[in-house]
Amino acid sequence: MKDKNEFLQVKDLVVEYTSEGKIVHAVNKVSFSLERGRTIGLVGETGAGKTSIAKAILRILPEPGGKIVGGEVFLDGEDILKIKEKGMRKLRGRKISMIFQDPMTALNPVKRVVDQIAEVVRTHNSKMSAVEATAEAIKMLEKVGIAENRVREYPHQFSGGMKQRVVIAMALACNPDLLLADEPTTALDVTIQAQVLEMINELKKDFNTAMIMITHDLGVVAEVCDDVAVVYAGEVIEYGTKEDVFDHPAHPYTKGLFGAIPDLNSHVKRLSPIEGLPPDPSDLPEGCNFSPRCPYATDECRRGEINAVEAAPGHTCRCCNIKAQEVQK
Amino acid sequence: MGALLEVQHLKKYFNSPKGKVHAVDDVSFVIEQGKTMGVVGESGCGKSTLGRTIIHLQDSTDGKIIFDGKDVTNLDKKALNTLRDDMQIIFQDPYSSLNPRMTIRQTIQEPLKLSGKFEGDKLEEETERLMKLVGIEERLALSYPRELDGGRRQRVGIARALALHPKFIVCDEPVSALDVSIQAQVLNLLMDLQESEGLTYMFITHDMSVVKHISDNICVMYLGQLVETCESDELFENTLHPYSKTLLSAIPTIDIHAKKKRIPLKGEIVSPIDPKPGCRFAARCPYAIEGCHAPQQLEEVLPGHFVSCCRVREINHLE
Repeated sequence: MKDKNEFLQVKDLVVEYTSEGKIVHAVNKVSFSLERGRTIGLVGETGAGKTSIAKAILRILPEPGGKIVGGEVFLDGEDILKIKEKGMRKLRGRKISMIFQDPMTALNPVKRVVDQIAEVVRTHNSKMSAVEATAEAIKMLEKVGIAENRVREYPHQFSGGMKQRVVIAMALACNPDLLLADEPTTALDVTIQAQVLEMINELKKDFNTAMIMITHDLGVVAEVCDDVAVVYAGEVIEYGTKEDVFDHPAHPYTKGLFGAIPDLNSHVKRLSPIEGLPPDPSDLPEGCNFSPRCPYATDECRRGEINAVEAAPGHTCRCCNIKAQEVQK
Repeated sequence: MGALLEVQHLKKYFNSPKGKVHAVDDVSFVIEQGKTMGVVGESGCGKSTLGRTIIHLQDSTDGKIIFDGKDVTNLDKKALNTLRDDMQIIFQDPYSSLNPRMTIRQTIQEPLKLSGKFEGDKLEEETERLMKLVGIEERLALSYPRELDGGRRQRVGIARALALHPKFIVCDEPVSALDVSIQAQVLNLLMDLQESEGLTYMFITHDMSVVKHISDNICVMYLGQLVETCESDELFENTLHPYSKTLLSAIPTIDIHAKKKRIPLKGEIVSPIDPKPGCRFAARCPYAIEGCHAPQQLEEVLPGHFVSCCRVREINHLE
């Protein structure tokens, strides 16, 4: 798609889970790339495979069961899927780190928050003394808006928004080059979400971090992302800049998503839901995964592999019917 | 159409080791027959407690609940059972509100059986009618909740609530746990049912775009207090209370070209335990003055538009 000098390049990533003898096709040939300082949004519904993509990049898929079956992930030109586990451990937290969805379960309940962050700092800088690491942790917590007089408290003494800020401080503690944010604001209230999103935007600018934002909320994507990849049944079905995807959605599923959200600025009486349900990932349909729910599906959609086509330069869409849709409009 | 439900100075306090939690504090509003009242606010603002107190899942501490012209604030067990036919609730989480060991048919039949009004063929007939009404396929009758997706489970919850032909339903975040494409299906179903069954809803949610879509009127709550209430469109076009303004400005919208004026909010929600008198938003409000710490009155600032803020006229340049 773009040149090979991209900072992060995911190519044909395939992830499978084995459960009860069945193979679950969670991620199917996902490709995208990302430059430093930019944010890509992975949007999709529950079970679409968004989190599996992030976990595969960090190589923390649940074992046994989860497996990267194919593909390449280049970080700064190096294929990190080929690195040994020991090398990977050095990368995690330092070069790549992750903000998890639920701050209540991502923190250790019996450890003071400052110590939890100092631990991360020391793990990656073995020369640092405990005192220095603590000072570093306090600095990080201050950056996310937690005053020094509260850093020695335990997670249960913090509100949800503050806990999420601690998790963000921890993820940013070693100044990572790549940040994976898995629904970082889903558990928060809107006013707190606004604070956290603003903070993420600022920190990203300060550190020139590349970020993958996983979310189901198109509003959050509009707020923080530069590029968008729409994920459905483990595939990226549409990919482009935020402007491409929001102003000219090409895939019937993306269009369906926009039709299903009540919009504050319009006065639609009835929403147009997408009929049916996402397919069972252990039993994907032949051809296009969206074809059973797609109003435009033809016989052509139900056989063979559907290739991504360009709807505009740099804006791709996995649909064999883009032209036909145009006519129907 | 007249008022179906009127709530006057309703209070609900809980005892806790640290003091009294003022979960709902002096809330008054009216819901007209056949309309939808949206109740919005952030977690812990008392919106669910308000809903549960109105339908008597909890006793109120003080105030009055008038339903269908009758004062139903204090009822004995028998009268309460009769009232429950008319007032129902749809819960947020379709994953935990259904019994995992009951089939869909048993689940939907339960309220019918408990009412004692249905037996034998009539019971089966009624079950079938309800399943059809909410769009659950016949073939799923013998399935268990775990075999259903979230949208269908929520339909089962709706069927249970509708079983005894209620007049009034509290919808407590009925679509929050659902994906957007499924959420739209359930919202459409709720709106269709309102029309065909003549239902009145109280719709509790934290999602502002959902509430705008479904409601005729909206109450905005903050820490147990009602800060603003008016018609839905009026609230979005002419927001008057400083908290409502902040809340609306914080919503991420899908319009990527809109210029946003976000009103930043400092600090976090304060504790609702033994709060000081006066406006609870004052601690975070950019306009707060001395007078905000005195008890506030809900005032009709514009026709049909009630606000509880002593500086509302001044801030909004109203006479």
